[in-house]
Amino acid sequence: MSDHTGTGLDAGRTGPGLGRASSGRWAARLRQRGIGTSWPAMVSWVFLVAIVLIALVGPLLISADPVRQTNAALLPFGSPGHPLGTDDLGRDELARLVHGARPLLFVAFASTALAAVVGTGVGLLAGYAGGAVEQVLMRAVDLALAFPSILLVILLVAAAGPGTTSLVIGVGVSLAPGLARLARALAARETARDYVVAARLGGTRTPRVLVQEILPNIAGPMVAQIVMTLSVAAGFAAGLSYLGLGIQPPTPDWGYMVQAGQEFLYSAPRLVVLPATLTLLFVVACNFVGDDLRDALDPKGSA
Amino acid sequence: MSTLPLPRLRRPHRPRSERADTLWAMFRRLLGIPVVLFALATLVFIAMRLLPGSPTASLAGGGTNLTAAEIARNQARAGEALGLDQPLLTQYGTYLDNLVHLRFGESFFGSNSVLGLLGDALPGTIELTLAAMTIAVLLGVVTGVIAALRKGTWIDTATRAVATVSFSLPWFALGVIAIVVFGVWLRWLPVLGRLPSSLDYRPTTNFVVIDAMLQNRPELIGPWIQHLILPATTLALSMAGYITRIVRASVLDVLGDDFVRTARMKGLGESAVIRRHVLRNSWLPIVTVLGLQFGSLLGGSVITETVFSYGGVGRLLVQGVLQRDYPVVQGAALAIALLFVLVNYAVDVLYMILDPRIRKG
Repeated sequence: MSDHTGTGLDAGRTGPGLGRASSGRWAARLRQRGIGTSWPAMVSWVFLVAIVLIALVGPLLISADPVRQTNAALLPFGSPGHPLGTDDLGRDELARLVHGARPLLFVAFASTALAAVVGTGVGLLAGYAGGAVEQVLMRAVDLALAFPSILLVILLVAAAGPGTTSLVIGVGVSLAPGLARLARALAARETARDYVVAARLGGTRTPRVLVQEILPNIAGPMVAQIVMTLSVAAGFAAGLSYLGLGIQPPTPDWGYMVQAGQEFLYSAPRLVVLPATLTLLFVVACNFVGDDLRDALDPKGSA
Repeated sequence: MSTLPLPRLRRPHRPRSERADTLWAMFRRLLGIPVVLFALATLVFIAMRLLPGSPTASLAGGGTNLTAAEIARNQARAGEALGLDQPLLTQYGTYLDNLVHLRFGESFFGSNSVLGLLGDALPGTIELTLAAMTIAVLLGVVTGVIAALRKGTWIDTATRAVATVSFSLPWFALGVIAIVVFGVWLRWLPVLGRLPSSLDYRPTTNFVVIDAMLQNRPELIGPWIQHLILPATTLALSMAGYITRIVRASVLDVLGDDFVRTARMKGLGESAVIRRHVLRNSWLPIVTVLGLQFGSLLGGSVITETVFSYGGVGRLLVQGVLQRDYPVVQGAALAIALLFVLVNYAVDVLYMILDPRIRKG
């Protein structure tokens, strides 16, 4: 998979000598499969894995309580017991940052998964069934795509009330139409192929044809597109929780921490800069990793 | 030009004048607008009726120390006043009737008319999105041309990398970091609102430029631009990234063509060649991007307006959602949808003017 139909970052690819000297055997093996072939992608993989690990095990390692308020408000960097200081309610900033990664990661991954299931399902059905079913489903998809997606998410979240679940549903539903369109195109192409016709003539029932015959054959480009969706979902999720539509305080969350910190822009800019920078890096890393995975999974660029 | 030609069924195609074709295509698109608006209005209605914690609950004083019976009585009264006791279909009919007559109701808080609130907020959003589009095109064209002319160098690589990254940057994070860097640390630019509060501004149209001309107050323009720079640039970056890549590709596409060589041979300077001959090929894809990305730009303005406490429809919408202020949410959502539909129409028309091939389609 050496031919990268990529996005123009190939020029930054690590030279072969440098790459081999600095990384282990399984990194080389991954690279053979086309993963981590440019340095931004490598850095992004490391960052993303680190963030996921921190979100998963970090809260167990840190003893400070992210929610308990103390009198030690707005302590600066490097204060004893609070390496990153405290916020306006005297809560440990490091603990809040570590705990605050969870909601964003959860919403980003869960809403992408929801979009993947709904989008692939609808598209698969439309592409296979054709006719009236396809018309109805795809016109609905067109309508959803014609609507500014963030407005759709805000209305959906408003309808369900703020919170993690409605954020997942809102972001997931608003990202599904794009995936449905791709799935339909791919499924329609496969449906016309001999192996599908043979399976149908052989009496295989429809659900089985869809899941066992067509799905595996469109999975490559679909997964490639789905991983690209992850960074969009992460951006949406962070933006909506910034607006206060996500997980509700006092549970820490990067997006909402930025909004709350804006009150103290002049006295404690770190309350804004730290969570905002982490969010920014997370979304950018998702983007590079998605790009990298897409190139590896779908070298022909059908997605 | 005579009357507009009507579509004829089962008749051989008769060539029409090109002008009539264009007008007909524009007219057909115009017919689509009410349909889309109707669909959007219905969607907004459904979303509004699905909202939990019905509006009557917040109006009836939930959370205050009224007795349960008093709250229930207030709730029934409020529901009656809002027409929520009617069957859903009747409510829908009333809703559409109100929309057609531009009766958007009053905000639950402070009973401002929603139409008045929208009148105050829409100009802000229009200014912001227009400024963002302008910055995006300028930034995108300049970086795209530079990247193409320096193809293969580190400048090209870096430009493309930044352009790729900029697609997905979350607006709020970008916005607050811009606030901290340029407003708090460097103190170059103001970071909140549309105009400094020290300035005595009495809006006539609420478009600052127009008001500055109408009221003969040129001193409004400077602070207005200063307040616009950061939010508009924040909003512009993701769109600029797309334009950079498109301009780069289309410049590279024609740079070796004969007509470019001819233009150079007749002694035209390099900048004139780029401006008059090469860039002409980029306008069509740029307009496409503007159209495709406008929805995302509007979505971004919802967030950017909140970040910069900038009075616009997006901020109105977010505040409405957080306060469960139904009439405001409904009005703001419809206003955003209308803006979206109209800009898409404008882009379609511009497209038809720029590219004769589309008129027939």
